[in-house]
Amino acid sequence: MIEIKFILNKKHVSAKIESNIRLIDLLRDKFNLTGTKEGCGVGECGACTVLMNGRAVNSCLVLAAQADESDIVTIEGISNGDVLNPLQKNFLSHGAVQCGFCTPGMVLSASALLDQNPNPSEEEIKESIAGNLCRCTGYKQIIDAVKETAKELNQK
Amino acid sequence: MMPSLEIITPKNLNDALNLLSSKEKDIHIIAGGTDVVPGLNQESNRFKDIRLLIDINRIAEVKGIKTDKEKISIGAAETFSDVLQNETIEKKFPLLWKAVSTIGSVQIRNRATIAGNFVNNAPCADTVPVLLVYNATIEIESQSSKREIGLNDFLSAPYKTKLNADEIVTRINIPIPSNEFAGDFYKLGRRRAVAISRITLALLMKSNDRIIDEIRIASGAVTPIGTRFFDLEKFAKGKKADDEFMKELSGKLGEQIIQVTGLRWSSEYKLPVVQQMFYQLLKGIER
Repeated sequence: MIEIKFILNKKHVSAKIESNIRLIDLLRDKFNLTGTKEGCGVGECGACTVLMNGRAVNSCLVLAAQADESDIVTIEGISNGDVLNPLQKNFLSHGAVQCGFCTPGMVLSASALLDQNPNPSEEEIKESIAGNLCRCTGYKQIIDAVKETAKELNQK
Repeated sequence: MMPSLEIITPKNLNDALNLLSSKEKDIHIIAGGTDVVPGLNQESNRFKDIRLLIDINRIAEVKGIKTDKEKISIGAAETFSDVLQNETIEKKFPLLWKAVSTIGSVQIRNRATIAGNFVNNAPCADTVPVLLVYNATIEIESQSSKREIGLNDFLSAPYKTKLNADEIVTRINIPIPSNEFAGDFYKLGRRRAVAISRITLALLMKSNDRIIDEIRIASGAVTPIGTRFFDLEKFAKGKKADDEFMKELSGKLGEQIIQVTGLRWSSEYKLPVVQQMFYQLLKGIER
């Protein structure tokens, strides 16, 4: 067992863990943050995307031990209490959520994009979610939701 | 289910090299982990005996990108996202920049590292053909030695390299090519993102009045490992790069690939694609 300390959704946390568990296992099983989904388990589908030090990563490809001293944000940490993040609000209003399995990963990938590039082109939006598979929407609603969010953020 | 193992995150190179030289158990280095973690999780034969992982992400000696007049030196544990953000790489090594931008997805590029790509040495490693045509060399250290060798000599077989068990790749050094070189990189995958490459080609050429002064050609995925075609390069030197010769060279590249791999079920469709795409690359840079 090893002890790791990190920031999880803006709170300092620590955990005693086995060295051989992945970040996704830590989040889901130890912290009960089940918004992070496991799809393929090999980094192809992006359902397990979380933010690590502000960058989108596949939590199925990171060992929990590697999260020591890092800053992790999951879908549970992206809203402001009961107030939805603008991306979440626009995903809902644009019909970008159907079965919902890809949604947490999509929102986090889009969030990382908008943090780095508040005014992305459609091509840049597509590139940012190219590692997130959605089998329901056909992606158009998702891209529209991200575009709308960027527009709103730029008007503020 | 993952095998039970230990993970240690040394803060400096010396501590990591000490651990490696102890050779107590099956040790594997991890940086981005995009090959190692799913490999462990799927109990792949390549990783199932590992009992200790050394995470090199906190070691300053394997981080950072340094540039001087002659070369760029990339820390082994620099991620592909770091590489894409470097202006010198974008300007002076456009093929490397292009190859890296096609790798995986944002999530993969945020973790996967430049050295991980060629130390893993999958046949489809996207940066290998471009690093080969740029004549990249790699710095390797152990507790008792330090050496620098060409990437071409380092790669030995699919998923195998000449890295000894007590060694770490610390840096990748690439000489900045003169402005007279033009080149391009081609990749074919089944989908645009997160696709395993089926064909990769890298081409770098310097010509004077259409006479080929120097040409460097490499392939990946269609050869067992990323491969330079030195014989073909010699053959092309001094020849006039007219349409007829480009077709001849493209034909010969296909023949050489078949010589390396033998005829396969996929040769029938891959061979014409390789030849046609190489011809297009040549035409593109001669324009």
